[in-house]
Amino acid sequence: MSMIELRRVTKDYDGRRVINDVSLKTESGERVVLFGPSGCGKSTVLALIAGLVIPDSGEILINEEVVATTKGNLREPDQRGIGMVFQDLALWPHMTVAENIEFGLRAKHVPPNKRKERVREMIDLVGLGDYLNAKPAELSGGQQQRVALARTLALAPPVVLMDEPLSTLDEALNLQLREEILRLHSDLGFTLVYVTHNREEAQQLGTRIIYLRHGRIEGS
Amino acid sequence: MQKRLTLIAAAVLLVVIGLLPVLMMVANSFVVDGVFSVAAYRALLASGKQQWVLMGHSLSLSLGVAFFATTVGVPLGLLLGKTDLPFRRTFTILLAVPLLIPPYVIAVAWFAVIGAGGWITRLLPAISHHLSWAFFGLYGCIAVLFTAFVPIVILLTIAYLGAVNPRLEAAGRLVSGWPGVLRRITLPLIAPAIVFAAVLVFLLTLGEVGVPTYLRYSVYPVETLTQFAAFYDFSAATAAAIPLLIVTLAMLTLEYGLLHKQVSELANVTFGVSRAQIELGRWKFPLLAVVLIWALITVALPLAALVAEAPSLTAYAEAFSRASDSILRSLVFAVIGASLLTVLGFFWGYIVHDRTLPFWRGVDALALFLFTLPGTVIGIGLISLWNTPVTNLVYRTPAIIILGYLAQYAVLPTRMTSGILERIPPSLERAARLCGADWFMTLRHIVAPLAIRGLIAVWIVSYVFCLRDLGISMVVYPPGSDTLPVRILTLMANGAPTLLAALCVILVAITLLPLAAAALWLRRKSPL
Repeated sequence: MSMIELRRVTKDYDGRRVINDVSLKTESGERVVLFGPSGCGKSTVLALIAGLVIPDSGEILINEEVVATTKGNLREPDQRGIGMVFQDLALWPHMTVAENIEFGLRAKHVPPNKRKERVREMIDLVGLGDYLNAKPAELSGGQQQRVALARTLALAPPVVLMDEPLSTLDEALNLQLREEILRLHSDLGFTLVYVTHNREEAQQLGTRIIYLRHGRIEGS
Repeated sequence: MQKRLTLIAAAVLLVVIGLLPVLMMVANSFVVDGVFSVAAYRALLASGKQQWVLMGHSLSLSLGVAFFATTVGVPLGLLLGKTDLPFRRTFTILLAVPLLIPPYVIAVAWFAVIGAGGWITRLLPAISHHLSWAFFGLYGCIAVLFTAFVPIVILLTIAYLGAVNPRLEAAGRLVSGWPGVLRRITLPLIAPAIVFAAVLVFLLTLGEVGVPTYLRYSVYPVETLTQFAAFYDFSAATAAAIPLLIVTLAMLTLEYGLLHKQVSELANVTFGVSRAQIELGRWKFPLLAVVLIWALITVALPLAALVAEAPSLTAYAEAFSRASDSILRSLVFAVIGASLLTVLGFFWGYIVHDRTLPFWRGVDALALFLFTLPGTVIGIGLISLWNTPVTNLVYRTPAIIILGYLAQYAVLPTRMTSGILERIPPSLERAARLCGADWFMTLRHIVAPLAIRGLIAVWIVSYVFCLRDLGISMVVYPPGSDTLPVRILTLMANGAPTLLAALCVILVAITLLPLAAAALWLRRKSPL
């Protein structure tokens, strides 16, 4: 069963075509890497899947249900079962690590005791037990990455999108976190769509690599 | 959908509060005794030379103030925003003080310095007659309004200097000294912002009524007010307001068409990047002395003279006994106005920042237009719209004053909020949406806490402008609901100087004290 499907999607920004007739399909539990140079439209594909951007033509399906057409979102971002790790991580600076992870659970009206339990589970999963009450600014780059992962996975989304989350880290930490992402994927079984321009990262993380150039798929 | 509907509702509210009164005023100017007529315009044109003379006075005054404010404000802005001048932050705050004080209070303060019985008259009696002659008239009006509005040019120059990409200047520095870089790179880059500041000062001067009334210089907006207040000729008042509307629209169209895009682009591209600083070297202390003397003359001297004019507690006791009701009303109206402006302005600012609604530019343009429109014109527009049997609940209560505040000062929270939101990375909001939070939850838990310092500043600026408002309050205040500025203006004509000075000091105090308290509180909070 296909988890994510893009059917002949295009997107223009200020008269410039950034996504040009892109069609792609991912299977449930697959690890797909979108690979290509800067400005080729990789992040826009993620934003389209997440529902943060509306396609100018074509349609987007999640779990075989049409979620977006040119008319707009048929399912809003929060109703798509998607988690996303942003390039800048997007950790809320005024909240503690626990509050960052808990926020989505609150939004979904999970009862307080269950929320606490889930936050604990997530913290243990990414190995940040001592930093529950720390603010993001007090953490190292690697620890911040782990918080972003924990926040994304707290709602157990069937699809996780990652937009170059390791691009700012040094090589050793980058390698370590790749292993961690693979471990989390094998433990939790989500579908992963990962964006990068780093060939090594793409080869290690993807079971399938899709090459994007000038907003078009050039091969996979 | 929740977000879209809320933002559309906020935009519609701005149209109802601000644009509809102006349109109604224009429509009403063509109605006499319930039928279509151009009689009011015929009468306006028949009044012939008198109207042109008044408009000439207004334009001369506005041009004079805009010219001097720009000529002095830009170099001061450069000194404070671009150099290593000692105490530049303190001077920036000090030189911004006149902007917080109503211009008519500055006029009263200057009268205490150079008017009959003033400090200079006592020190140099030989020139007192000439000074007094110059003070009451065009030159006095230019001097007072110039000191009142020059902070606009200084602050905008500083803000836009901070927006210049430092790499462009660094590239210039490799081939030229700072004077060349300033002349050929920095100033041309911020030229649109300087012209915008000049246009703003021009339009604010054009709508000013308090200072020309006090200094007995006949200007066009006072004519509009006279038609309304003295003769209660509403058609004539609305017709008389139309030329001001046309001048304002023409200036703004010019600014918007030619410059606005460049100003916005400049602001959007590079705000927040650390800037290159000019080292003044041996000029540091001479220039420090110049700025210090400037601050002493334009800020400290008039304020000190004002306080000295009402030196005893008896003066303040009398002021309170004569105007405690107006003081209280002013405070309450300003608090309500500022709170509503902060809430509504948040959504107007969000529209401008978000740019997803097709009419976002319209919201920004309308807010700016209303700000530059003379308060008397907005006031007459409000009466045109709300003075009907069905809407008496608004017209006959202070609600009409609050509506006036919302219309006239909408641009302040709109532009400030838009700037604040610009500094919050969009991914923070997106992450919340993907976590399942609806738009209101995202605003409450993510955007508002991150923007809180800025929103407090929005409230304070709105409070200051509502508190000092004269143009709207003077036209629309219901019987028995006059504000402190209106009471001061009334007393300007026939009140004792001591009482007048005491009321002005009270107005300055209730403006500055909350500001100082908030500044201290904000300093203790962690930055965004």
